[in-house]
Amino acid sequence: MTLAALASVSVVGVGWQLGAQLTASQQTLATSVPAAAIGTAATATGTAATPSAAPSAAPTAAAAAPAAASGTFDGSVVHTRFGPVQVSVTIANGTITEVMALQLTNDGGRSVMISNQAAPILRSEVLAAQSAQVQNVSGATYTTGGYLTSLQAALDAAQF
Amino acid sequence: MPPSSSRPGTVMPPDARVSPEDGAGTGALTVTSMGTVLSIRFGRTVDPAAREAARDAVTRVFGRWDARFSLYRDDSELSRINRGELRLTQASPALRDCYALALDWRDRTDGVFTPHRADGVLDLSGVVKALAIDEAGGALHALGLGDWSLNAGGDVLVAGDQAPGLDWVAGIVDPEDRARTLAVVTLALPLRAVATSGSAERGDHIWSSGNGGASPYRQVSVLARDIVTADVLATAIIAGGEATLNRSTETWPVEVLAVLRDGSLLATPGLRA
Repeated sequence: MTLAALASVSVVGVGWQLGAQLTASQQTLATSVPAAAIGTAATATGTAATPSAAPSAAPTAAAAAPAAASGTFDGSVVHTRFGPVQVSVTIANGTITEVMALQLTNDGGRSVMISNQAAPILRSEVLAAQSAQVQNVSGATYTTGGYLTSLQAALDAAQF
Repeated sequence: MPPSSSRPGTVMPPDARVSPEDGAGTGALTVTSMGTVLSIRFGRTVDPAAREAARDAVTRVFGRWDARFSLYRDDSELSRINRGELRLTQASPALRDCYALALDWRDRTDGVFTPHRADGVLDLSGVVKALAIDEAGGALHALGLGDWSLNAGGDVLVAGDQAPGLDWVAGIVDPEDRARTLAVVTLALPLRAVATSGSAERGDHIWSSGNGGASPYRQVSVLARDIVTADVLATAIIAGGEATLNRSTETWPVEVLAVLRDGSLLATPGLRA
């Protein structure tokens, strides 16, 4: 676990869309993560979503910088027997205040935030209400003719 | 892509009436434009003069966008460009701005959303309706109206409350039974826009730029802070499939409800009961 934290925290990422810049930012920003922050990472990672995913990757040496860092940092991907693992940590004045698990999709190798990933859901699990509580209906664009038989027309006519 | 007739089997009785010319109140106003129907609602009582002013403003905005960008109109500026009668460099700033915005979204979606149709036609309809909704919302705001909803053919933008202290609530249509809603979503700051794309109503009007295969999704709804983002991403996710879905949810503050081909659902956490 300690190794995972070290490996993760030592790298700073800004997301998949800046992939080309990732390497450069890793090198420049990694050094700004202070040793104090790394030290607390071991504890913080214990509460991450994949506590049993012991990594085999060796920790990347992070240079100790005198100034306390702040910001959100994405760790590097650690390959485990459970699959790729990546965490993101938020550091305020050298202390980790939040650790979030980032998950990797199997295809493409991009990270996906678990916190907002679309996942399978049963129809009974979506938010539902009586149509009387609804003022508008969103659907694939209807034509002028299609409107006449649409739920929206019913709502408009009823002036809910 | 001719408009297809409506799907049969909905439960609306044939004599269901639209009431476009109603008087004062909070009921819906309707305007026909861009080949669809716009519904305008107010969250509190608005006097008849203000309702008419709102209707005129929205009608004017949509009419202007339609006149410039409709591919169903031979005399639209975009049709003239597509016929080669007008160069893009000679086009109006409004058209060039719109094209630039569409190209921005092409880049943001890794090319999944594109104004360049497979047959070579420059088609800005992927952003035009949403831009018109956005501008119409601005027009309502300029009239001093702070509580309203605008639904243009299934894409909804709201402001304020649907009644004092109550958020606007939108249903998301069930693509398997258009008389029913699949889910309901609250539209309130910061996510006050929802758009839905699918292939059920107008045929396969989304041109896939990827491998050309059928979309894994039958319908995709996106809640976003603005209607352009919602509309573009709903379209892009249909075209780009799971990769675009995941990229969208991790990049933008959005909620997504996708209906797969087999009728099962995918939803972001914010849409769970």
